[in-house]
Amino acid sequence: MLSRTLKRALLDSRLPLPPTFLLPWAAGLTTVSHTPEAGNVPPPLIDSAQHVSTDRQAMKSASKQPKSASPAHTAPATAPKLPAPSSTGTSPIALSQSVRDLLPLLQAQGSHYITAHIFDRPYLLTQGDTVRLPFFMKDVAPGDILRLNKASNIGSRDYTLKASAAAPKLKSSTTTTVEVLDPTSGSLASHSRVMPTPSPDSETPSSTAARTMAPHFIPHIAKGKVSYLDDRLFVCRAVVMGVEAEPMRVKEKTKRRQRKVKSVKSKHRYTILKVKEVRIRGVEEIEGGDELD
Amino acid sequence: MATPTTNYFRITLLRSAIGLPKRTSGVLAALGLHKRLRTVYHPVTQTVAGQVFAVKELVDVQEVDRALSKQEMKGLRQPEKGYFVETKAGAVGRENA
Repeated sequence: MLSRTLKRALLDSRLPLPPTFLLPWAAGLTTVSHTPEAGNVPPPLIDSAQHVSTDRQAMKSASKQPKSASPAHTAPATAPKLPAPSSTGTSPIALSQSVRDLLPLLQAQGSHYITAHIFDRPYLLTQGDTVRLPFFMKDVAPGDILRLNKASNIGSRDYTLKASAAAPKLKSSTTTTVEVLDPTSGSLASHSRVMPTPSPDSETPSSTAARTMAPHFIPHIAKGKVSYLDDRLFVCRAVVMGVEAEPMRVKEKTKRRQRKVKSVKSKHRYTILKVKEVRIRGVEEIEGGDELD
Repeated sequence: MATPTTNYFRITLLRSAIGLPKRTSGVLAALGLHKRLRTVYHPVTQTVAGQVFAVKELVDVQEVDRALSKQEMKGLRQPEKGYFVETKAGAVGRENA
């Protein structure tokens, strides 16, 4: 829960962070780097929800702009609920005017779809769908109700609510470091050169803005990052239907001119979910801040 | 724009040393880079700087002020769950099973 919030925060924040040694290593890990105070503080080790929330608020309000192509933008049970993890951001969500205008229109349309992300993999869902996940979900039993809280899109026939654009692709500072010392006029003394950090209060990144430092450049992970909607905007519930298993398959392992043949059996299991509810919250409900259902 | 205190090199192997002289792969082994896209942290010293310089065409280097441990780097790679269990099955008060 805390880690989820912080990781979400890290993906959005642009503010300097407190020293990493103060923070639990597992909290809020992220691969998207942001402006660290000293220039290279590892993003994972953040604890300042305070810093994060204000910035996220600004980001989220800026991010709710509808796309122009198609008018983009767009909406349970008295069972005792387990304490839910804190939703993204501790400060009240700030909706932009366009979101306020078009959210009721999105809500009014009949059916909605949502692109929910489970372990960062997108699933295009609508109410009544049965999802066979490509993995076995641990620690859940048939009948458990899950709340899916990471979504990149919610839409209806004519409107789509999207999250803000993903953070720009980050480059390592060394790839843009070019320095030529003129021996006649420049100093020959060696010195360490680190890319300047953008100001902490920089707003939504633009393509031409000074690139945010990439303190921990992870090339094979940094690509394909999606930005998510604030989870207070929608409600998406799915119930665990059960677990399905594939037919037993046997892999024969052997080498040439080797008589011994080893058989390895596989029978993977897959969790089945059924989507019970896809709902977009109203503007009053979002801004009211009450998390009832 | 103060120069931050930088204590570590963050070195990532981007290109393989296959086909290069053994000295080069020896340097990479000394740095702890045995596979592509592995990342290691070394303190900023003349020794390490010289090693990096020997393989500068193969690696990406940054100066950071803190070294991440293997567990921390693994945590960076983990995706978020994207769900949480709201109601357990068989909980008291459920209207419909």
